Amino acid sequence: MIISTHWLADYVQLQAPTDALVERLLMSGLNHESTATVGADTAVEIEVTSNRPDCLGHIGVAREAAVLFGRPLHIPDPRPLEGGRAAAESVAVEIRSPDVCPFYSARVIRGAKVGPSPAWLVERLATVGIESVNNVVDVTNYVMLECGQPLHAFDLAKIRGGRIVVRRAAAGEPFTAINHKTYPLTEQMCVIADAEGPIALAGVMGGAESEIGDATTDILLESAQFAPLAVRAAARGLVLASPSSYRFERTPDPAAVDWASRRAAAMIVDLAGGTLEKAAVEAGTLACAPATIELRPHRIREVLGIDIAADRQRAILTGLGFAELDPGDGVGKPSRWRAPTWRRDVWREIDLVEEIARIEGYDRVPEDWPITARPVELSPREQAIRAASAVLVGAGLCEAMTRSVVSAALESTQSPWGDSAPLVISPALVRGADRLRRTLLPSLLEARAGNLSVGAPHAELFEIARGYIGRPAGTAAESPVEEPLLVSLVTGGSFAAAKGLVEAVLARFGVCAAFRPVDLDLFTRGRAAEIVVDQPGRAPERIGVVGECAAGALAAAGLDKGVSAAELRLDRLESALGIERKLRRPSDFPAVERDVNLVVDESVPWGDLAAVVGQTAGDLLEHCRLVQVWKDAERLGADKKSMVVSLRLRSGSGTLSSEDANRVVSDVVAACGRKVGAVLRQ
Amino acid sequence: MATVSLEAFTAELDRLRADATAALDVAGDEATLEQARVEFVGAKSGRLKAIQKMLGGLAAEDRPAGGRHFNDAKQVITAALEAAQGRVAGTAAETEAIDVTLPGDPIRLGHLHPITQTIRRVQEIMGRLGFESVDGPEVEDQWHNFEALAIGAEHPARDPLDNFYLSVARAADPLLLRSQTSTVQIRVMEKRKPPLRIVSLGRVYRPDTADATHYPMFHQVEGLLVEPGTTMAHLKSVLRLFASSFLGGDVHVRFRPSFFPFTEPSVEVDMEWGGRWIEMGGAGMVDPAVLAAVGYDPDQVSGFAFGLGVERIAARRYGVADIRDFYRNDVRFLRQF
Repeated sequence: MIISTHWLADYVQLQAPTDALVERLLMSGLNHESTATVGADTAVEIEVTSNRPDCLGHIGVAREAAVLFGRPLHIPDPRPLEGGRAAAESVAVEIRSPDVCPFYSARVIRGAKVGPSPAWLVERLATVGIESVNNVVDVTNYVMLECGQPLHAFDLAKIRGGRIVVRRAAAGEPFTAINHKTYPLTEQMCVIADAEGPIALAGVMGGAESEIGDATTDILLESAQFAPLAVRAAARGLVLASPSSYRFERTPDPAAVDWASRRAAAMIVDLAGGTLEKAAVEAGTLACAPATIELRPHRIREVLGIDIAADRQRAILTGLGFAELDPGDGVGKPSRWRAPTWRRDVWREIDLVEEIARIEGYDRVPEDWPITARPVELSPREQAIRAASAVLVGAGLCEAMTRSVVSAALESTQSPWGDSAPLVISPALVRGADRLRRTLLPSLLEARAGNLSVGAPHAELFEIARGYIGRPAGTAAESPVEEPLLVSLVTGGSFAAAKGLVEAVLARFGVCAAFRPVDLDLFTRGRAAEIVVDQPGRAPERIGVVGECAAGALAAAGLDKGVSAAELRLDRLESALGIERKLRRPSDFPAVERDVNLVVDESVPWGDLAAVVGQTAGDLLEHCRLVQVWKDAERLGADKKSMVVSLRLRSGSGTLSSEDANRVVSDVVAACGRKVGAVLRQ
Repeated sequence: MATVSLEAFTAELDRLRADATAALDVAGDEATLEQARVEFVGAKSGRLKAIQKMLGGLAAEDRPAGGRHFNDAKQVITAALEAAQGRVAGTAAETEAIDVTLPGDPIRLGHLHPITQTIRRVQEIMGRLGFESVDGPEVEDQWHNFEALAIGAEHPARDPLDNFYLSVARAADPLLLRSQTSTVQIRVMEKRKPPLRIVSLGRVYRPDTADATHYPMFHQVEGLLVEPGTTMAHLKSVLRLFASSFLGGDVHVRFRPSFFPFTEPSVEVDMEWGGRWIEMGGAGMVDPAVLAAVGYDPDQVSGFAFGLGVERIAARRYGVADIRDFYRNDVRFLRQF
């Protein structure tokens, strides 16, 4: 909303510089956008929040200024002279859809002479950025910018059948606007029609055929109430937003419907001549029910933390147009107020408190009140996020942030977390991206590719974010969408590099997990594992996947070289972090190292062998390490491999003798022989 | 039983120190130096070794002092020996010097995203003020994203064009990506009773065309305090403590009236930064309708809420002119934080 300071002075004499006005408005709720000099006038652009349609007119802003500066406010009371016959004999008005148009009024002016506006009017409109059209259209714009109520003037001679019908548009009904473009309408929209068809899109734009032109002599002046949703449907649906639609979407002052009509009629007769026919033709019921509000004396202090004198409260509210119905007793009995018609946003006690506060000024509210202490701890989830990211940052990875919503191509990748169809949103987040992702991995590959394309090929990245998995219909869950918290990583290293990172995260959480071969289209066949936690008494649970990325997945992302990746369910690790750690005191006794070279079938995985070693050596085994694996068909036999295992044995209760150690080793060798067919190679 | 007095021990030690430093200072060749080394610090029969044995003959109460003197002397003699060795070795020592300007063994440093760093900083400061970080779903229903927040069916904020609605068949209660983290506050208030101090944070989504200052996905941090007797003075004081901590120094806070459906009164919050008022976010007293919607009695408790745009403060903090840079994931960008 742009304010002309000259225009404002019609209603309030501030006797203060523009800067002071701007500052006071800024601090009472009308944000300052800019100030510009236009000729001799000054244009002040302010931002008006959606609850304040009254400030979409100069009078509303003048009222604020008058209260802020303690100056009287003068609002004209237009009483145009009427003559000739009753307007009702010239035109009939019918409202067929009162839900989108509760009230409609028409005034008729005959014998006007359409022509240029006087200089003062042209200048005022120029200050607020509106180009002059002619003296009739200019008046409708002027009055709208004065009181916030949009008006429309029709050429009465172009209204067929002498009747106005206000109704919802028929689906697909065509309408040709002032801009000479034809729009197909929908049933959500409201039209002003004559006996034959639409002549205006209610509250948005007039029609080309009935617009005021040089040849116009008889004028129908419309002032009405239109439902915000109908106006919004038309303005947004047809991309036809106008100053009029902007105001109707915010519900102008109901009392201004008649005031604006009288004001504009008087000005038109004044500037263009002609005769105003008797009485307005009205249809419908004006929706106008100002609230009655009680204000308890203690509420100001309870909400704001400061006291404001009762007289000051009264001055503020009456200045803003509130009527005091009962002053109360200032102690316990509340005062009673009736809100002005232009303040539909004020209907509760708390709203009155805000009115008093914003005019009094929030600078009075102290900023140094003591704040009591409260104990607070990071939630398990926050701790989990921090623990995982600390490990990965420590390992040299950079944290990425990729979009939660991805393209269909990116989403075509199989998710490790269920095969329900991806959820689709509308509109797309960015062009082509309308699927909620079920895994972060394709996004991270894309981020790595983006780095490659700008010459940073070694992007080691991780991300912590959610996936979105649709739950099957009928699932008894709070939400139909599951949002697993995922931590994902990509590295230019091998499978072992990615697995090492995963193991470090798992170790940080104190989680023991098994790695089992898995097939996922994201990973190369035979070079990927699912990570499973298998706790007694519970079904085995997949908590992650790790693998070397398949050529197809890499090509789709624009990568060619070897990339490994992993994804973990942080939400399933969360609880592990909370388990209290108890010290296991390190042994003071010396350790004994023993290496054994075991030959097994090639198909025996290290994990199986290590499990047997662990079970057999028991508590004495401090550490078990795979030193090397080698194959030699001639010396070991075909389909055989040698695995050199280094064991570190240590007792917590005494020095382990060489004999003790040898006994453990021979037990291990024997068990490995029984369970995985291992043979000791001497 | 003492067999030697502390005085005698100290005297012997001083004599040794004087003899040793004198001899070592003048030793000019390797043979002389070796001779001096054997005499004074030889492992088997050096004079230092001999005096060390005398230490055992001191009275128990004298041993700590004797030990201290012994160590001092040993250090002096060792230093003199090293100096002499360096001098005699001459240029040989110089060849072993290293180019200290050569790079160290590289350690790859990882980096947290600047948005995460900003969020953590806010969490940390608010944590000290007793606010607990909470989390909630990003896919929301009408109640939590709108209705409980006093955003009625006719409110423009619910327009399909202004939200990311999910195209799953739920005509009665369409789901959407949350447009604000206030949804989490509702969820927490529904489950817990006051007193309550929380910050909800995370990704939110609004269909803005991406440009230097907008992105359709961004992060919000929202604080909520609900306790009996809470006033706007508490709100202003908490925000001032936050601002002073976040920006450093004694920062002032300014409120400008504004409008949000879920707070009343509502204000824009400005903080003084570099001599200027900078808009930091929105705040207000929790609207009684919101308190009632979650089953609280607005006459018994009151509260305040505030929201900050993380991208905006991170951009300002780190001098990022285009917030889209936060989502390009260019490691050359990420490594700077």
